[in-house]
Amino acid sequence: MDLSVSAEDQAFRAEVREWLAQNLRGEFEPLRGTGGSGREHEAIELRTEWEKALGAAGWIGLGLPRNVGGRGATLMQQVIFAEEYARADGPGRVNHVGEYLMAPTLVEFGSEELQQRFLPGILKGEELWCQGYSEPGAGSDLAAVRTRASLKDGHWSIEGQKVWTSMAFCADWCFVIARTEPGSERHRGLSYLLVAMEQEGIDIRPIVQITGSSEFSEVFFDDARTPESYVVGEPGDGWRIAMGTLGFERGVATLAQQVGFQRELEQVIADARENGTIDDPQIAERLVQAWIELRVMRYQALRTLGTIEPAAASVSKLLWANWHRRLGELGIDVRGASATVLPAEPYELTREQAVFLYTRADTIYAGSNEIQRNILAERVLGLPRG
Amino acid sequence: MEFRLSDEQRDLQSTLRAFVERHASGEVVRAAAEHGDGLAEPVWERLTGEMELTGLAIDPIHGGTGASFVEVAIALEELGRTLVPVPFLVTVTAAHTLSGEGIDADQAAPLLERIAEGCVATVGLGENEVTTAVGAGGVILDGQLEHVADGAHADLLVVAVDDQQGPALYGVELSAEGVEVQARATMDQTRRQATVRLTGAPATRLTSVGDAGAAAVARAGDILSVALACEAVGTATRCLEMTVEYLGERVQFGRPIGSFQALKHRCADLFVALESARSTAAYASWVVDGAPEELAIVAPLAQLVCGEALLQIASESIQLHGGIGFTWEHDAHYFFKRAKSTELLSGGNRHLRRLVGQRAGII
Repeated sequence: MDLSVSAEDQAFRAEVREWLAQNLRGEFEPLRGTGGSGREHEAIELRTEWEKALGAAGWIGLGLPRNVGGRGATLMQQVIFAEEYARADGPGRVNHVGEYLMAPTLVEFGSEELQQRFLPGILKGEELWCQGYSEPGAGSDLAAVRTRASLKDGHWSIEGQKVWTSMAFCADWCFVIARTEPGSERHRGLSYLLVAMEQEGIDIRPIVQITGSSEFSEVFFDDARTPESYVVGEPGDGWRIAMGTLGFERGVATLAQQVGFQRELEQVIADARENGTIDDPQIAERLVQAWIELRVMRYQALRTLGTIEPAAASVSKLLWANWHRRLGELGIDVRGASATVLPAEPYELTREQAVFLYTRADTIYAGSNEIQRNILAERVLGLPRG
Repeated sequence: MEFRLSDEQRDLQSTLRAFVERHASGEVVRAAAEHGDGLAEPVWERLTGEMELTGLAIDPIHGGTGASFVEVAIALEELGRTLVPVPFLVTVTAAHTLSGEGIDADQAAPLLERIAEGCVATVGLGENEVTTAVGAGGVILDGQLEHVADGAHADLLVVAVDDQQGPALYGVELSAEGVEVQARATMDQTRRQATVRLTGAPATRLTSVGDAGAAAVARAGDILSVALACEAVGTATRCLEMTVEYLGERVQFGRPIGSFQALKHRCADLFVALESARSTAAYASWVVDGAPEELAIVAPLAQLVCGEALLQIASESIQLHGGIGFTWEHDAHYFFKRAKSTELLSGGNRHLRRLVGQRAGII
């Protein structure tokens, strides 16, 4: 065990910091602090341009192997990039799904044809992706998907509905889990299809959320089409691929997210100092506890960096989702009655109001708290299935 | 940055795990806890003898092995698994304190040599009203210390005293005249305490004069905190293992009770607390030698996080065991009593949280 930081990593950090200082300015300056959870609708067009600038400089797909166009960076370098990006208040990334879910899935499971067709678009920041998993009848129970696809004239024809698709409104492509073997059940007979979003057979309807804003959508498929070869893995093998997409290393993203959390917490502490609530011993204790837990999440993420075991992913998800939700509560408790008034019509939110409301989703999406606890109890602790 | 243990560190871990399972099993712990003076003497003899464990992090020039606190932490965790009553934690806390900066090396050297050979040292680092004076043969101490862990088993005491020059550490031979050690009956029978009365007790000043000496006193308390954190992770790990095993075996309503989701989810939450504690203790164990500038914050933080995890797991363990967990014959109560006693002796979790908040400049 040696937790010291190498000289190479320190140099890499300096390189990233310098690039961000030189590039996140001028036309991109207004992007600082935009996007992110609860505010994904902000400055979409300029953020899409920024994604291309990142791609042109080689900052997308840092961890992917060189032979597919990545940079072959170590996990620690990926962490450093993400941390510096967050520290510079870089805008929420519009193609998180493409870079962290689709690209590694293509590298691991995709044919050479699909890799050549789709990886460059992700790495250049030119093609944005969304994820077509959840359905009205398939939330926590993903294997209950009913969206179906059948082959017609060398194309898949897709019928059905997805829901809770984040960033669907700006995505160019969607990876869709669909039932391609009629009569199949549960996790058998599914395929993992890559589908263009801009077509007649697709209808996107934004979901207005608890925040009054919309980053999630419903996506309706009515004879939506995609070429026969745009399937990752074999037809019928979609469940395995879908689980693979969810199983990639997540520690880098977790550590990056913590930089944003730190900034949110510092704002709450500053608010408490400003209005004197920090003198309330209970508020003071909650602030310190939040600070401590954020440190603990960092140690946990560093210790499990690079592991793909369910224990690490589920522990991390439970820790950060619960932490963030509590921070949302603390943030408005510190503000008191003034937190009940909005800054503007019709439903403009302050940052702490947005965190308070949006974090109710954190403990639900990407595997609810209850699902994470099932995973830990059954797959990690080995308790008998009920 | 590498959290994984090296091959040598893993060897140490597996050697100790095997040793503890073989020689410090539940019956050995129970016998030592309930009878006699609360010391598993044969276990301690082997740990200090053939295994040379008290010298683990002592410099080879004083007869030690020269490892870092990370190795000490591994040993603490393994011994913590069974709550075996041996004075390892206090002894290594004293040894590591004496190996740091701000210590008068000439005075510390003979003590470190004795500890490396198996001498038991303990620490008195809490607030006290001990006073110093100059006697015929040098400095003498007067006053009383409560809650001295393993005090009745120790040869040597390292005590924090405010003297005319500020905070200082003094070494006291517990067998000397002017020292009275009274063993106390303790709720946690696996870590006994003593009251130590000093009446003109001869003592040696161990810290150098000035800021470095004062920093050494603070560091001693922080080392104790990290040691307790690392030990708590071992104790909590075993306690959760024991609980999960029981839930898989105990049948009610025709099925193992561990198949009920209400119990599963509680175990999952305990696992999250344990993993958090494990990461925190690991980080803190490295900070002791690897990033001492972080120790003042990380040490109370680690003690808080690991101590809370242990208490949560130990108290849930009794509830999840049901009636058997309430009996004297089951081990669950040892874990519970250890957890709460350790928290109370540290001044309580609110105190630790406050300390972190102050040291981090939040409050």
